Amino acid sequence: MNRSKRYLLLTAFGAALVGGLGVQAVAQDVPTIDPKPSVVVRPIESHIGNTVGHSESAKSDYKRYCAGCHGTYGDGNGENAVWIEPKPRDFTIATFKCRSTPTGTLPTDEDLYNTLVRGITNSNMPAWNTFTKQQRADLVAYIKIFSPRWDKEKPGQPIQIPAEPPVTMDSIAHGKALFTKLECWKCHGPHGEGDGPSAATLTDSKDQPIRPYNFALAKDDSRFKCGVTNRDIYRIFMTGVDGTPMPSFADVIQPNDAWDLVHFLRTLQVHRHGKETEVLSTAHGVIPPYVDKNPPPANPAPAENKAPGGGQE
Amino acid sequence: MRVWAPSHGYPKPRQNGSFLAAAFVLLFLILSASPSANALPAFARKYGLRCSACHESWPMLNNFGQKFKDNGYQLMNEHDSPIWQNPGYWPVTFRIVPLWHRLSSGKQVVDTAAGGSSVGQNEQRITSSGFDLSGLDFHTGGTLEKNFSFYVLPSSDATASFHFETVMARLDNVFNSPWLNVKLGKFELDNLLSEKRILTLTGNGGIYQLYHFVPVGDGNIFGQMGDNQLGLEIMGHSYNDRTRYSVSLLSTSDGQVGLPYGAQSYSTFITGSQAFDAGKLGLQRLGFYAMAGQAPTSWLTSGGPNAAIAGSGTQNKNFSREGFVGQFYFGQHFDVQLVTQHGQDSAWFGQGYGDLIDGVAVNNNTPGTTLAAGSRSPTWNGILVEPHYVYSPQLIFLARYETIRMSQQSTPGTRSDLGNITTYTVGYRYNPFMTSRAGFAWHNEFNLFHQTGTAPLTGSNINSSEVLTGFDFDF
Amino acid sequence: MRTKKTLFVFSTLLMSSSLMFAGSVTGKVTYTGTPAKQKPIDMSKEPSCAKQHATPITGENVVTGANNSLENVVVYVSAGANDDGKVPSQAVTYDQKGCQYVPHVLPMHTNQELKISNSDQTSHNIHPLAKVNQEWNKSQPPGTPPITQKYEKEEFIPVKCNIHPWMHGYFVVLKTNHYDVSKSGGEFKLPDLPPGKYTLTAWHEDYGTQTADVTITGAESKDVNFTFKAKAY
Repeated sequence: MNRSKRYLLLTAFGAALVGGLGVQAVAQDVPTIDPKPSVVVRPIESHIGNTVGHSESAKSDYKRYCAGCHGTYGDGNGENAVWIEPKPRDFTIATFKCRSTPTGTLPTDEDLYNTLVRGITNSNMPAWNTFTKQQRADLVAYIKIFSPRWDKEKPGQPIQIPAEPPVTMDSIAHGKALFTKLECWKCHGPHGEGDGPSAATLTDSKDQPIRPYNFALAKDDSRFKCGVTNRDIYRIFMTGVDGTPMPSFADVIQPNDAWDLVHFLRTLQVHRHGKETEVLSTAHGVIPPYVDKNPPPANPAPAENKAPGGGQE
Repeated sequence: MRVWAPSHGYPKPRQNGSFLAAAFVLLFLILSASPSANALPAFARKYGLRCSACHESWPMLNNFGQKFKDNGYQLMNEHDSPIWQNPGYWPVTFRIVPLWHRLSSGKQVVDTAAGGSSVGQNEQRITSSGFDLSGLDFHTGGTLEKNFSFYVLPSSDATASFHFETVMARLDNVFNSPWLNVKLGKFELDNLLSEKRILTLTGNGGIYQLYHFVPVGDGNIFGQMGDNQLGLEIMGHSYNDRTRYSVSLLSTSDGQVGLPYGAQSYSTFITGSQAFDAGKLGLQRLGFYAMAGQAPTSWLTSGGPNAAIAGSGTQNKNFSREGFVGQFYFGQHFDVQLVTQHGQDSAWFGQGYGDLIDGVAVNNNTPGTTLAAGSRSPTWNGILVEPHYVYSPQLIFLARYETIRMSQQSTPGTRSDLGNITTYTVGYRYNPFMTSRAGFAWHNEFNLFHQTGTAPLTGSNINSSEVLTGFDFDF
Repeated sequence: MRTKKTLFVFSTLLMSSSLMFAGSVTGKVTYTGTPAKQKPIDMSKEPSCAKQHATPITGENVVTGANNSLENVVVYVSAGANDDGKVPSQAVTYDQKGCQYVPHVLPMHTNQELKISNSDQTSHNIHPLAKVNQEWNKSQPPGTPPITQKYEKEEFIPVKCNIHPWMHGYFVVLKTNHYDVSKSGGEFKLPDLPPGKYTLTAWHEDYGTQTADVTITGAESKDVNFTFKAKAY
């Protein structure tokens, strides 16, 4: 460890001194109380459709727009980090909330790009949709320089999302049964109000308190942290929100059952107008108990949630 | 005979001794046009963003900052209402500029010997330098509640005499649509290239001449799109702010409170723009603006032929200003801002009717008055080109070339270039540090100003220059 | 044919001889001072787990026994063993039972298969807070098949269940197979150490690490004891 060289990310000033790739600053002589995380400045690309982003091109934009929170070294320790809640993402550990890929894997470039365009609601991360596509692609490439994982690992395979079946009361009822069985309510509360028995104890992976999503607060213009549409909800609970207490359910929910859960979750957004709330209001707000039309074979192991999806034909 | 050059808050030598009243008006207008860049470290503190996130170079906005403003000072993350703010947030920002400058004004009227003007007068250049101070601005603004925002800006001159530069409330995203936002109060017109966010500070370079131009002898002061106006604005934009429009209905009062002018005089200001993604070049924006207004020429008087009564102005005549705006980016470091203008005032204004109450106009359109034969509408064209080289978010070099050329003088036979203005400005601003807690710029600027034929005695050209260095800071 | 047979015999001899001369390290882990009292766990919000515990349980950060013995300390060869990459083929298992992790601390070799099962009648989410390795977080309702995972890099990974905030354990990913976790009485044993110089590291989740050097010369059993200073908070 003593011999290991320390790589520093140099900002504009440093770049004026040494150009090119793999810039090394000799910092061993300077005793530091809090050594900066090692970052190797190296060109990384991102691919968003036909647009190729280059990390080198985003240096100035990163400093201008991002470094105040995410820090010059990408470690989430920008000068504003102490003031804001939730805390800015630490790019050095390469754990990302919004992914189309399985939990624990790296997100795709498009995932990062979409987060940049959308912003993260209920946080200080705004929607950077005023940027050009090229600027955003460059920034996606840039935030990858902070973790060596991007050199060694490939992004995960995006999960497959089947076409959404129609919203029916059956589907909602089955979704409600899943909500109960999978114990979503332990954190999100029986009515999705973010007040489950474990809600108050939740912390994220950096030990910062974190609140479960309160579905009941949603209005027509509300967003989720990782999207707006039904497909986005599907993706959120199937891939999990890495770095937070929200786990991935990809291994335990069948693809079509997941749509039922989506439909039920929408009915928890009582102030939002949608087809799910319409279906519910035509039934006067009563969700009937779910009856499994295709009961699992006799003598089932406790594998009850392996039951084939009900609620659809 | 009068140089129209509202200055920048610090005292400025008078250009003309013979128009004392006009000079007073000028001073008054100077104060109301004092620097009021709407840069708010309060916002930066609130959101934890660096100044550079919203400002190409503070105080000039970039596209992201423009979107933030267009959303009613909201990031639209459900994190905007005051209840979400961190303890370091205090929604007030102070701005003040201590500076040193050297001002050289040509063709000043000077008595040739002690004893007064009766002895004789000539024109001389007066050059002086020294440390100085701009006024002080208290910016406060932000969200009262989701989609309700406000902005209040008490602004003082260098002697701490205050006025309200901006007072307005906004209602945003009406019907959950970014296409409908309503603003009421005294506010800056929706100029894409905002004079309140100008990157220059000298007397003649610290304003956009295009936004304040008045032909020589013209009595209409109300076409100054650079001044904050009283009225109602409806504006809208696409979600990503690429498309923008605004329509405002204004009192023709150049922002003065108390209904001092016309009995019923209104103006409108309309803008529209569209930005295009030009790949590696960046975002290119093209837009237009049009101001069409009416101002009174006839006044009731009390106590003398020119002692106009406030609010009594009638016999409205027309004026118009319209042009294109372009914001062109060539990669991350270089951009050019462009504004054109075609302006026209009614022949009545050209003949010295109009703002009698401030003494700007010298004639009153009393019943039965006729225009001098052959009078025409004063008409002019202008262009403003401002290239920037943004070395880094902390260092910007800028230059500006502005020229305004009369294309038609009101009185036939007047020399065709009388009152033409050409001005050059170069400068740079260096922000030695970059945080979200405060803004600080070391400012250096040089301005050359040229106006044709307006020397008070000889009618020769006026050349003035100013060099300025100072600390522009807000906290 | 003959050559092969000879080789076989020879290698068998070699193997048995190395085993024959292999030594071992045994010892005890103890503490001095007064450990903080472990907080009782209130499982009333999870009745299906609460009823599995006849007496109320406490946290398992510090588990002590008679004679100041300290359990749940991972003792492993941190230098000198050359079995990095010799990944055992059998998986290590980690169970969630009565809303507790069994075992509380689970050492494993890098890239060794790890099987996590849920014996409870309630949903858990298994959330190892890896920093060097990949951080993932998966739901595991009752009756689902075990989750199989691997860790590529050496790391001490805290594990938690966000649904049941008291649930807390550790994955200890090592580059060696020579490890043990101190049991009741603080005892541990590291067998099958060929002659050589070794550095042993003892790691406790609250009390930190200690190291000791040991030299094995033959088929001997060396005694190495570790004493941790208890933290009162």
